[in-house]
Amino acid sequence: MDTKIAVFLCNCGGAIKNIDFEATRERISKIPGVTSVDLSSGLCFEEGKREMVSRIREEHPDRVVVAGCAPEFSECVFQQVLETAGLSGRSFSAANIREQCSWVHDGDVTGKAVELVKMAVSRVRLLRTLEKKELPVSREVLVVGGGFSAIGTALRLSRIGLPVTIAAVEEVLGATQDGVESFYRCDIDTMKSAVEGDRNIEVLTPARVTSAHGEAGDFAVTIEREGERIRRKYGAIVLATGFTTELSPVSVKGLPVVGGAGSPANIVSQEQLFRMLDNGATARKPETIAFLLDSCDENSRFPTLATLNNAIAARVKWGSEVYVFCKDVKVDSEGAEKLYREARGCGVVFVKCDSAPRLAIDDGRISIEARDVFLGADTIVDCDLLVAEEVLCPPEGTEALADMFNIRLDSRGFYQDENVHLYPVGFEKRGVFCVGGCRGDLEASRMANDIHSVAMMIYGLLSSGVIEAEIERVKADTQKCVACLTCIRVCPHSAIRLSRVDNGKEIAVISDVACDACGICAAICPAKAIVFEGYRDDQVLAQIEAIGES
Amino acid sequence: MKGRVIAFCCEHSAYPAADLAGRLRLHYSESLRIIRVPCAGRVDVIHMLKAFEKGARAVLVLGCEDGACHHITGNTRARERVEQCQVLLDEARLDGRSVAMHNISPNAPQKFVRIADELVNAKEQSREAI
Repeated sequence: MDTKIAVFLCNCGGAIKNIDFEATRERISKIPGVTSVDLSSGLCFEEGKREMVSRIREEHPDRVVVAGCAPEFSECVFQQVLETAGLSGRSFSAANIREQCSWVHDGDVTGKAVELVKMAVSRVRLLRTLEKKELPVSREVLVVGGGFSAIGTALRLSRIGLPVTIAAVEEVLGATQDGVESFYRCDIDTMKSAVEGDRNIEVLTPARVTSAHGEAGDFAVTIEREGERIRRKYGAIVLATGFTTELSPVSVKGLPVVGGAGSPANIVSQEQLFRMLDNGATARKPETIAFLLDSCDENSRFPTLATLNNAIAARVKWGSEVYVFCKDVKVDSEGAEKLYREARGCGVVFVKCDSAPRLAIDDGRISIEARDVFLGADTIVDCDLLVAEEVLCPPEGTEALADMFNIRLDSRGFYQDENVHLYPVGFEKRGVFCVGGCRGDLEASRMANDIHSVAMMIYGLLSSGVIEAEIERVKADTQKCVACLTCIRVCPHSAIRLSRVDNGKEIAVISDVACDACGICAAICPAKAIVFEGYRDDQVLAQIEAIGES
Repeated sequence: MKGRVIAFCCEHSAYPAADLAGRLRLHYSESLRIIRVPCAGRVDVIHMLKAFEKGARAVLVLGCEDGACHHITGNTRARERVEQCQVLLDEARLDGRSVAMHNISPNAPQKFVRIADELVNAKEQSREAI
């Protein structure tokens, strides 16, 4: 039996003017297989949709083509209509005669419109419907990390009803932020007690994730805690491993000197200065303090905030003279501009210099020499305390976790999120997310945003307990596949693995859940064994063959 | 389909760019035909060659900008394949320059129109030269 195709033409309420719809209808109805052609002037309105449903129920077509607006919009609307009318959403194809035909040309474009509809018809004829299945998922979430972002994420997830396990390498939660909460602007004690009182949250410390495999909804993870191996199933993984800071080495007369504990001079980190300011037990208040900022690391959002806060505190509390040597002060984070003004207001001196300042250490005092860009002259400051520039680094173990979950790292070694604008907390591997400092330069206000978006994405993924997936949308042919592993190597979503099928042969099996339907494997497969429904070779070629047939 | 230009457009970048060109009422050659693909990496050599077999004047493969591919490596794979196709065309004594790969972002309709126009004009000029 031949496939019956129904074509619906829509003139978008008169927005398509330069196409002769009557002539188009006549020419399309001559295409073999097309059983009905309907004209409408508002197919996406409720009325139009109702009419479309009743026409489909009358005519019983196998496939439907809608010629009108861009598929970006029409696809989801009309697939729903088809499903209401009892057809599969997969029996649909759109012909974009508005954005890509009527609106980009002057004069009559009926010929091109007919061609576009013909292309859609020849594609839709070859479409196959796919079975949809609901796959059960584990609703448990694993949060890796023990800092502010990890605890925040766990609390939020538990509040929306998902059981959470926290696995942290630290001895206790929040150990790295102990005593410096206000430096990081977070109230970790309240959060820690909230975690203790939460029956939905299980805390494993000190624990390390040693292996993980699987896909969204079904990750098998092994966690090692004090020599004991715990094997668990999780639906989603959140990486919240945070960041560490390193003092960038300052060069004294050509020799690099690293500050911090046991350093030859009074070179300290921001955190050390904060502790000194906080406990107030310093033997002698430093009279002059100098900060270095933004001379070797461009990503200085967090160090800028720390510098500004500490500079103001030192100025107010100790009354010291404070100098900040910097290339630029970057004030794009929340509240930074205000802090900068406040710092200027209370007497902090900012020295803008193009090249790194030259340092000399003499009898415990540090002399800093830099060329002030505005004065055009060298500025020399003798100080008691130098706060070195800090560079943010990924914590130990980041690489191992990235390997485990197939995540790429960025140039500095932090997790590379999929798309900074659209999916800032997601990865190309579905079901794995990252929040907080492990994404690179981040401060508290952005972290809160991250936690909200991760919670929302995980809720969408796991809350119903099932993931709906189309079965075998992309599939390797058992006969043709020779297990050459090319597809496994190229798949950006690590959705393919080798698996033994019934007759004992090993072939590539594509996970229906993890696959994002890009078709890279189908194009690269040397045996042409991978079939990608919707964009099969014959479906693409049929469209090409339909071009210019008239 | 003599003289047609076939553009394989990635649905994450070039296809929305083409739609946006429509919404802005920008104009490009009427001979351009767009085929939507889920990623430029889906386009295979056979698809490009088929277009030439059917008489296409030129073939464009349009993917996401470098480093911004929705499927990470799709655009680089597409470029490899376009280069492969160019070699095949040259070997067959056809003009390898008839097939080109470009990167485009979804909010760049002007760039889409420029790429399309440049290719169409270049091919028209080379035809006149013959």
